[in-house]
This record gives sequence, C-alpha cells and structure tokens, in this order.
Amino acid sequence: MMIRVITRRILRALLTLFLVVTFVFFVLRLTGDPVSAMMPDDTDPAIMDQMREDWGLNRPLAVQYADYWMGLAQGDFGNAYRDGRPALEVVSERIPATLTLTLTGFAFIVIVGFPLGILAAINRGTVIDRGIMTLSVTGFSLPNFFLGILLILLFSVQLRLLPAFGSDKWYNLLMPVFTLGTAGAAVIARFVRSSMLEVLSAPYIRAARARGVQERQIIWRIALPNAAIPTITVLGFMVGALISGSIVTESVFAWPGIGRLLIDSVTQRELAIVQTIVMLTAFSMVVANLTVDLLYLMIDPRQRYAATSGA
Amino acid sequence: MTGERVPLAIEGLTVYHHAVDAPVIENLALSVKPGEIRGLVGESGSGKSITCMAALGLLNDDWQISGQIALAGNRTLQAVAERRGFDAAMIFQDATSSLNPIQTIGQQLTETVARLRRLSRATARRVALDLLKRVDLPEPEARYDYYPFQLSGGQNQRVMIALALAGQPRILFADEPTTALDVTIQSQILELLKSIRDETGMGIVFVTHDLGVIEDICDTVSVMYSGRIVESGPVTDIIDRPAHPYTSGLISSMPTLAGQIPAGIAGQVPAPGQRPTGCAFAPRCSEARPDCRTEPPRLVAFSAGRDVACLNPLGGNHAAEQSRLDHRHCPNKSTRQEPIAEIKNAACDYRVGGGGVFRAVSNVSFDINDRESVAVIGESGSGKSTIGKLLLGLEAPAEGEILFSREPVPLLGTVLHRAYARFVQLVPQNPYLSLDPRATIGNQIREPLIIHRIGTQAEQLHKRDELLEAVGLGPEFADRYPHEISGGQCQRAVIARALCLQPQMLICDEATASLDVSVQARIIALLRELQERFQLSLVFITHDLRIIRSLCQKVAVMQKGELVEFGTAEQVLSTPSHPYTRALLAAVPEKKKELA
Ligand code: SF4
Repeated sequence: MMIRVITRRILRALLTLFLVVTFVFFVLRLTGDPVSAMMPDDTDPAIMDQMREDWGLNRPLAVQYADYWMGLAQGDFGNAYRDGRPALEVVSERIPATLTLTLTGFAFIVIVGFPLGILAAINRGTVIDRGIMTLSVTGFSLPNFFLGILLILLFSVQLRLLPAFGSDKWYNLLMPVFTLGTAGAAVIARFVRSSMLEVLSAPYIRAARARGVQERQIIWRIALPNAAIPTITVLGFMVGALISGSIVTESVFAWPGIGRLLIDSVTQRELAIVQTIVMLTAFSMVVANLTVDLLYLMIDPRQRYAATSGA
Repeated sequence: MTGERVPLAIEGLTVYHHAVDAPVIENLALSVKPGEIRGLVGESGSGKSITCMAALGLLNDDWQISGQIALAGNRTLQAVAERRGFDAAMIFQDATSSLNPIQTIGQQLTETVARLRRLSRATARRVALDLLKRVDLPEPEARYDYYPFQLSGGQNQRVMIALALAGQPRILFADEPTTALDVTIQSQILELLKSIRDETGMGIVFVTHDLGVIEDICDTVSVMYSGRIVESGPVTDIIDRPAHPYTSGLISSMPTLAGQIPAGIAGQVPAPGQRPTGCAFAPRCSEARPDCRTEPPRLVAFSAGRDVACLNPLGGNHAAEQSRLDHRHCPNKSTRQEPIAEIKNAACDYRVGGGGVFRAVSNVSFDINDRESVAVIGESGSGKSTIGKLLLGLEAPAEGEILFSREPVPLLGTVLHRAYARFVQLVPQNPYLSLDPRATIGNQIREPLIIHRIGTQAEQLHKRDELLEAVGLGPEFADRYPHEISGGQCQRAVIARALCLQPQMLICDEATASLDVSVQARIIALLRELQERFQLSLVFITHDLRIIRSLCQKVAVMQKGELVEFGTAEQVLSTPSHPYTRALLAAVPEKKKELA
C-alpha cells in the first residue's frame, strides 16, 4: 500500500515537470529571438533569416515543441547556438560548483538554524532568546546580494582576509555560503523556536517530567523529534530558496556555477541551455518535495497510518 | 507496619505566582496514608491541580513555592524533583495527549521501566508487558507496538497508569483521570485504581470536580476553595453532613439519578489577588456573618477526624437537607401529546477516507412532543450527536425521514433551511468556540435579528436586554467580550442568542459538560425555567445520566448507532429494560442508596 502512495506521488511529480518544461518552452520563444540577440543590429536580414532556417526557428511553434520532446526522448537536450556544443554538456560542467555551494548552504542552514532555534526556545524570554531573535530578523531582512557585497567590502577590501573571487580553495566557499545560507538559517531558527515552544508546552512533555525524565532527555529525545516534523516542510521550501538564491550569489562572487550560466544564457537567448537548466532545477525541486513527503512518512506514524489506510 | 513511609505529607504549602503577584495556594496541609485514596475536590480555579504540580515540583520559574513537601518520607523541596517517578507519579485528564505521539506505547513504557528500575532493555520489555497486562490493556503483546493515536482514550489512560506504576511509587496524583471518559470506561478505570491500591498499598490523591466519583473511590476528601482547604475528613461523613457551606453547596449542585433539581452556587471563585479579606467564600455564602468578612477562618478540628475552616459551620445536616427539600422531580406537565419533531427509521452515513461510508445511526425512530424535553444518552460513538445534527438539518438522512411540524427538515444550504433555522437552535458544548471573541456579547445576541432583518434598532436592543435578563446576565453584560466573562456566563449568552428568534426547539449538545458542577446545576435550572417561559421543546444530548431526571420527561438510549431504549425518564431510570441501559446506570458513580 505504501508503494501505491509513493507511485502516486512520483506520477504527480512527473506531471509537474512536464508543465514546467512546457511553460518555459513557450515563454522563451514568445519573448525574444536568439538570432537578433546574437547578431549585431546592422546584420543583413537575409543572413539572419538563413540562421533561423538553419536552427529550425522559423518552423511553427508546435512543430518545434514536438521536435524538442522527440529529442528529449533520445537524451538529446539540444545544442548551444554559439559553439554548437550539446546543452547537457555545457550545463553538466557547471553542476559541481553549484552543488558544492547549495549543499554547503543547506548544511549551513541546518547546522546554524536548528541549534539557534533550540537554544532560543529553552532560554525563552531571556537575553539569549532575544539576541537570537534579533539576529534572525536581521538575517532574513537583508537581501542576499546586499549581504554578499557587504562581506566583500569588509573581508576582501577592508581587511584583505579573503579573496573576493575564485572557487578553488575551501575558504573561497566561506563568503558565498554565508551569503546564501543566512536568510534560510534565520527562518529555520525562528521556526524551530516556535515549534519547540509549542511542543514543550504539550501535555506529553509535562507527563514526561512527572515521570522524572531528565530535562536533557526531554529536549533531545522527545521535544526535538516532535518539533522537527513540521520543520521538514520548511526545509523542503528551503531547497527552492537555495536554488534561486544561488543565482544571485554566484553572480556576486563570480562563482562558476549554473546560476551564472543561466543569467548569461537568458540574455543570449541560448534556448537549449536555459531549458536544460530550468528542467534540472524543477527536477531537483520535485526530488526535494518527494524527499520531504517520504521523510514525513518515515518520521510521523500518524501520517504513515493515514497514508496506508487511506490508499 | 514498621518502616512504612507516609506517602505524602504537605505542610504550610504556599504557592505564589509572580505574574499574578499573589499567592494562589495559601498555607495548605495535605497528607495521605498508605493505601488511602484522598479526594481533592473544588471548582475550577480552586487550586487542585496546582497543588499536585507543586507537590511533584512541576511548577516552573513563574511560581515560587514555600512550605514542606515530603514524598514517601523524603523531605525538602529540592529532593522532590529527583524523586519523581520513584516515590511519586501522576496521571492526567487527557491521556492520549499525555503520551509522546511519535513513539509506540511499548517503547515509552520499556524506556521508563528501564530507567526507573535500572533494568536492561530486554528485562524492561518483559516488565513493561506485565504492566500492560496488570492495567488490563486488551491484547498487550499486539498493542505494545501501537502508537497512542491508535488507542482509545480509556486504553491510553491504562497505558498512563502502567507508566505511573513503572517506578513503583508510593503516591499517585490522579488529576481528573476519568473526566474525559465515558461512564462505563470511567468505572472500569476507577476499579483498576482501587485494585492497584489494594495490591501495592500506594496512596492516591484523586483530583476531581465530580463528587459522585469521590463517593465511589475515595476514603477521605479535602474540599478546596480559592487556594485553601476548607473542609476535610472521611467521605461518607462529609457527603452526609457537610459542615462548610461551600461543601454543602457543591453537594446540592450534584445532579442525581433520583432526579432532584440541583441548586448550584451563585457567583464564581475569586481570582487569586482578588480574594476578599476574611473568608474567601463570604460573597457567595448564605451563612455569612459580619465577622466572616474580617477574619479569615482557619482550618480547625470540627469533630473526630474532620476539619473545617468556617466561623459558622453548619451543624448537623440542615443545609444539605434544606437544599435537597427544595428539589422537585421534573413535573410531568400535561404537554399536548403532539409530536413537534419525528424521527422515522432514520439512518445517517458519514464518508470516511478511501471512499467508504460509516453508518453512524441506523433505523432510529422516536418522537419529540411539543414542549417536552427528551434526553438522548449514550457513550462516544453511539450516534447521539448525529441525532442532533439530523434534527438541525446539518446532515441528511440516508434512509427514513426527519420531520418537524410534519414537514421534512430542510438541509443546510437550502433556501428553506434559512427559515427553518429560526425554529430549531443549537446550544453547543463549548460556548467560547461558538462565540466570536472580537464581538461584544450584546451584538452577538442581536446578530440573528440583524441577519433576518427583524425590528428596528431600538426594538432589537430592547429584545437583547430582555434576553440578557432572561438568562440571568442583565443588560450590563451587553458590552462585554467573551474572554471577559466566565464559562457559565458564556453559556448563558449562547443560550440567549439561541432564544433570540423565538425558536420552538433547542438542541443542547453536551451543553453543560465542560462546566463546573455548581455552574452546571444553575444552567440546568435556567434551561428548565426558559423551557417553561418560552414553551420550548428540548433535546438534551448528554453522556451524564444524572442530569436527565431533573430536566427531561423522556429518554432515548443510543448504543452503536441504534436506539436501544426509549421511554419516560421514570421508566428508563427505574426499570431499565435493555441490558445496555442497565450497564450505563450501574456505572454511574454515586452511592447505590440514591438509586433506591
Ligand atoms: S466563614 Fe462565614 S462566610 Fe465563610 S463559609 Fe463560613 S459562614 Fe460562610
């Protein structure tokens, strides 16, 4: 029965992917022409027409769309217009850099957000709590490009401690990850705090205390797992925020990832590359959502029960 | 019994709340002997639960505690927290939410046993299973792997009791452990607690607002009022001959199967910090003398084994007698024997997950006569609330029909239902939930008139004041908000709103279940008075059989969706014919003499 639930969710995910790809395909083609974006304005219109002819851009949209799916079915994501390299290859080169950045960013969010939230909750109303909450408000109200520029000004320009650009040393990661993860960590800290406070006032916590369970056990073994359940959803959203955040962050720090490639490709109307990136992003969001759903089923017996008996 | 340690001894306990800036518990003494079950009774706000929490060291930094607390002979306040689980344990009203929702009950119990008895996990698991058997959890091996949400409230309470027994405590604090349960389950849990007490010699502090339960399970009782103990002694003595006017008031508030109309106590418990000088009960006391308002009475010996804190205690039993003499059976007034509502072979289904249906009510037929009141009783899941929904047009019958004045009851959402809603109104269990927290009481009472565009503004305001008066609140309540008034007053406001459109029938769904007995008694008296004055038919849906006879002429007994017995209150309560009705009656916690 569990299998049925999972299959259903995967099917729904595939539908989402299909809709995203379709939407992007048409929007991109209706909003600008790759040839005029690439060539100087005073190019001979005949040459431009010839290029459109070569790239198949003068065919009806529906035909191009069908063609695109035919290609996809054979693992062909299309080619870049400029150098003719397969789009998948161009994008794949950039994946490791982005993956390093977003995964470290995600770890940063969890490693910083959770402990701060827990700390604030168990010290509710004290200086510690208020301090953490002030930090959190500051954290998520700073736009990340602004935070990135501030960091560069402080550590690279003023203190000359860290290089502003580069991606080959571990310390090159510090500023981009901080830029990318701060807002998320702030949101998570706040969410974990309120979720912990709610759980800590639940009757089963009082009952555990009445049985003499140690306070440390109560927090780690009883309260945290219960408080973590709703937090998982928020962590799922974070994946989306990380991906969009990485586009800005990569631009600020000249990070050679997918984000920068996307910006460049949109301005240059490299349709195949943009589509591949969008598909990849949508795919990772779908995977993230699916993971959240499955985690829920794993952690929360009530969900598991509802899922299996409702199917 | 040498070496037998006194399970609980509290002396001079004062609990101070920082935010309220006043003591909530004052100079309280309470002790429990081995094998003794001591009741702790009083209205909400009297400090019963706080006393238990303080004894277990469960109050946080908002509270300051002074005095002596000794659990199983271990004195000093600091030690209390360390002895939790070993010397003392506690069970609560809502067992299901008192268990960790994401851990199986078996794991929770095994962990607790392993910790408190210092056993290996494997041994602890065996002990845990034994404990589950001891508390009569059906099929303990299978249920070991269940989560709390898969068990019923009664089963979870058994698990809670097993958890409490894990550390072999000398004293158990039971805070309203059966209040949320059906009567038959309640009596099973009470029996279980008694048998555990007999077996282990453990002492129990049993907190409840239900004197019937106290009579059933307790040896001794302490009555609390406004943070102090006002009377204590053996249960039978105190119930038969209360010395404190408050105790007497509580006793006469108890509805009984015998059907007296309970008297109730006017007014409410003063909040800490607003307690009057002198006797805190003085504003509500019929026996008050001038010196009561200056001198706070101390708890002194009254007779053998009994203490009372009152300057003018009731001698003998005159007060209890007095208030009981006023009681009358609900008169069998000559109602026009014409049905106003008819339920004919009705069945009702609910859709459940996965496309199935659940039949909540099947093949039920009975009539409700004009100006008559009918009690619909049964345990949770019996379908009694569904009957109410059918009569209100909130659910459609799957089979049969529901008639009101010989016309089929229109369904919610239809044009006809709007007009129908004027004739039949609901009084729900939780008045706070049915009132808008951001609107004044007065506006909410007037609202139906505005919606149905009845009368000018002046007429509407006049009607509002008239209704406030009728439910015993008075026009000065018109400008208050729900959070500014007590639960009983809220319920009065809800009743006033229900009466606004001059309905012919009121459906009261557990309308008094969440109120203190003293308040409940007064709401019942109010409903009776209103029924007479406005010529209403009443459908009173309840799980409490004791309320019935003082209010209702007819009784419908529901079990698992079916009507198992219908008849006059007299017949059903005195000569029940169905075994289920007999079981329900036998489970009612009150002395058998009242049944005679
Ligand atoms: S002391 Fe006075 S006011 Fe208080 S209960 Fe006794 S008689 Fe009533």
